[in-house]
Amino acid sequence: MTRVALAVKGLSVSYGNVVAVHDATFTVAEGEACAITGPNGNGKSSILMGVTGMVRRRGGVEVFGAPAPNADVRWIARHGLTLVPERRQLYPGLSAADNILLGCYCWTKSIAKARRSDPFSRAVELFPELKPHLKQAAGTLSGGQQQMVAIARGLASDPKILAVDEPCLGLAEAIARRVYDVLARIHELGTTLIVVEEAPKRALTLCDRRVEVRNGVAGGR
Amino acid sequence: MKFGNLVIAGIVTGSIYAVFAVCVSVWYRVSNILNLAVGDFAMVGALGVDNLYRVRGLPLPAAIITTLAVVAVFAYAYDIVVLRIAQDGPRRAEGIVVTFFFTFALSFFIDGVAKMLFGTDVHAAPALWNGQALSVANLHIERAGILVLGCAVIIGGMFWLYIRYTLGGKALEACGENPIGARIAGIDTRRYRRLIFVGTAVIAALFGIVESPITGYTYLSGATISLTGFLAAAYGGFRKPGRALLAGLFIGILEALLGGYVSAEYGDTVMYAILAALVLAWPRGLGFESAVSG
Repeated sequence: MTRVALAVKGLSVSYGNVVAVHDATFTVAEGEACAITGPNGNGKSSILMGVTGMVRRRGGVEVFGAPAPNADVRWIARHGLTLVPERRQLYPGLSAADNILLGCYCWTKSIAKARRSDPFSRAVELFPELKPHLKQAAGTLSGGQQQMVAIARGLASDPKILAVDEPCLGLAEAIARRVYDVLARIHELGTTLIVVEEAPKRALTLCDRRVEVRNGVAGGR
Repeated sequence: MKFGNLVIAGIVTGSIYAVFAVCVSVWYRVSNILNLAVGDFAMVGALGVDNLYRVRGLPLPAAIITTLAVVAVFAYAYDIVVLRIAQDGPRRAEGIVVTFFFTFALSFFIDGVAKMLFGTDVHAAPALWNGQALSVANLHIERAGILVLGCAVIIGGMFWLYIRYTLGGKALEACGENPIGARIAGIDTRRYRRLIFVGTAVIAALFGIVESPITGYTYLSGATISLTGFLAAAYGGFRKPGRALLAGLFIGILEALLGGYVSAEYGDTVMYAILAALVLAWPRGLGFESAVSG
């Protein structure tokens, strides 16, 4: 029987008096690729922010059956759920390689161990086009390259669940296709995927299932 | 040889400013707070060791260790009690209040306590390396100056190695580059804020102990050191420790040359006029605009 990788129960997220997500409940099975879709400003990203502990939430989140503490990103990362955030949130002055390397921080503090690790090597190998740019400052890379670095940083954390927020935002069509190819490859290799997308059409080329979000309310399809 | 001796004196003073500027810059990168109390920790180091050794009769190593430990515990407590509530609590303070106020208040608090404990006279920690100034080809350098330079090089080198070759150092840089991105990678930005605050307080106290035999300290000396370290850090936009280091050295040498050639009395006034002119001439080049706009 397939395990539940992520269980979200009655999740609500508010910013001051503004309720962004109201009572969202859904599960994602291990090995599944799940899309969270809906128009912009309806609370898709806030669901991921609440689930990954980047903002405080009400309601419950379980990662492989373990209840996640509120607003504890480190706990979430250590338990195998990693966020690739909207707008990438890279470290612009650090090299692309260092950005990816810091993905390992949640499971080791040793730079030698991180450099020799399988997750780091795999993350770099998935993007051969980044190889000539690994020593370049991340802030000077193109939008597509930065998105690849952000995904590679996520992979270096050795995630069991990778949550990717708007991976194609602002990218040219050819680059967006390449990003989706890599996400499909990551999924093939056994990682559970959660992809937030405004456009359900693109998301459903990759995902088996989608959670539709309208006005902060989530519904399964 | 006057010029050479002034430059040497300037490098010694400048290395202190440089270290303090790096302390201010590094902590600002992590916390977005400007440490205006860093010089006061130096003053506590100097006057604390003097008090424990000369007045209370403790052996010198015990006086130094006790003083550094008190500074570390106090800085840790201040972070836990004040800065944690100010920055991490549900009613966190924003903007200029948190950037300046909490360390400005801390500076006044430390000065007040130091006045009560150590009085208002000039004191200094005992010299760690006794003897006459060393001379080579008419160039003179105080032994304490050599210790100051040595400490600056060792601490600067260790810090550079930490940033360059450890994952913890890169995580520290990541906190400064993008705190949200750092949290996503599981980096505890609050832990780094605490670590660097305590670390820089101890480093400042150590420099106070080593340097005070050259200049002597009163309970008010910390503010001047903080101001110069703050200025040097500003030249790096508060975010570039390398540039802050060079600015610290530059200010130290400029101060010595102006004191030697222009006027011992008005040297500082002329120096601040030159520094202000530089900022007016190249605000962007010196990083001021990026500091203001974040």
